Amino acid sequence: MVVYMSESRERDQRFALLMRATQAGDREAYARLLHDLIPLLRRAVRRQRALLKPQDAEDLVQDILLSLHQARRSYDPTRPFLPWLMALVRNRVADGARRYISRSAHEVVVDQLPETFSDADPNMIDGPYGDPEALRLAVKALPDGQRRAIELLKLREMSLKEAAAHSGASVAALKVSVHRGMLALRRMLAGQDP
Amino acid sequence: MDTNALIAELANSATPVRRLPTPWVRMLMWLVISVPFLAVIWLVMPSDINPATAMTNRRFLLEEAVLLVTALTAALAAFGSVVPGYDRRILLIPLLPLAVWLASLGEGCWRNWVALGAGGLTLRPDWDCLPPAILIGIVPSIAMVVMLRRGAPLLPRVSIALAALAVAALANFGLRLFHVGDASVMVLFWHLGGAAVLAGLAALAGRRVLYWRHAAT
Repeated sequence: MVVYMSESRERDQRFALLMRATQAGDREAYARLLHDLIPLLRRAVRRQRALLKPQDAEDLVQDILLSLHQARRSYDPTRPFLPWLMALVRNRVADGARRYISRSAHEVVVDQLPETFSDADPNMIDGPYGDPEALRLAVKALPDGQRRAIELLKLREMSLKEAAAHSGASVAALKVSVHRGMLALRRMLAGQDP
Repeated sequence: MDTNALIAELANSATPVRRLPTPWVRMLMWLVISVPFLAVIWLVMPSDINPATAMTNRRFLLEEAVLLVTALTAALAAFGSVVPGYDRRILLIPLLPLAVWLASLGEGCWRNWVALGAGGLTLRPDWDCLPPAILIGIVPSIAMVVMLRRGAPLLPRVSIALAALAVAALANFGLRLFHVGDASVMVLFWHLGGAAVLAGLAALAGRRVLYWRHAAT
């Protein structure tokens, strides 16, 4: 335990010396410090964000290096180096997690992009029916019960409960009527008999 | 970018940097920048206050002392908040003088209510003191922001809210040196309320003022 503490203190002192030289403008000391810190930073990031993909974890390590660069004047060589560094690491890891959450909230993961264009013409199949007059005539031609169910549930967009209260029909009867009505409309609009 | 390439780039761009002094020293530096400006404003502005009377008014002296301590502790906490690894308990220190200020104003309101009844607690708009208060705050706030930006933006909203509290308390301290004291309820509402609103608005803007430069690009 004593040996471990002494090693840890020695390592801290070595980092503190390199950081002091860095603040004085010693580029070699700075490069050495950053190289020596990499394994430590990777371990710290893995410990705090265990589920990160390796590339994202490496991005976070680089973000910490850039933050260290900006904050290097705030290190006081009379104080231990590692608590200073770890406060920086915790801050950047927490910020990284916040950025990740906010990015995920605005992104949709798509396995395969649809092979189509945003223009209206190539999307005719998925678009709404294009002839309202033919649709109006087809609805008018439906039997009373089916027409009523289509009007309430599809055109006026009522819920089944609201449509049942409005028409006096049961929910089950409305479901059957709207289903049959939709089938009949499809057939009529496709030019077949209802 | 490869991490080794990044290290090489950072090392090549490294120039000597001037180390930040401790938060205590930086607080004193901020005071050294702000106080001469405060003195100039005090000399230039017409004063409603007789210094001889004010110096014997214990209530005035207590409130001024509390305002100054609030400004200093808030500045100390703000400077501490931009140093990684600095004891976070420092952020709570300004709460103590703030509580004393609030208690002293509350006690003043109580006295006014006992002496004058509900009339002693009447609020009225007091826009006269706004321009000098803003004027007094200009140099301390610019100095504070410049100094904070030299540190690490670990808690930008907290740092900027504390900075706003420090500036508001110092501006109140300066304002009361030449602007006659109102009833406590007016000070409570306009001065303390103004400081709270300023700190809240500043906190909202915190991330725009203090940020990691590489993350903003």
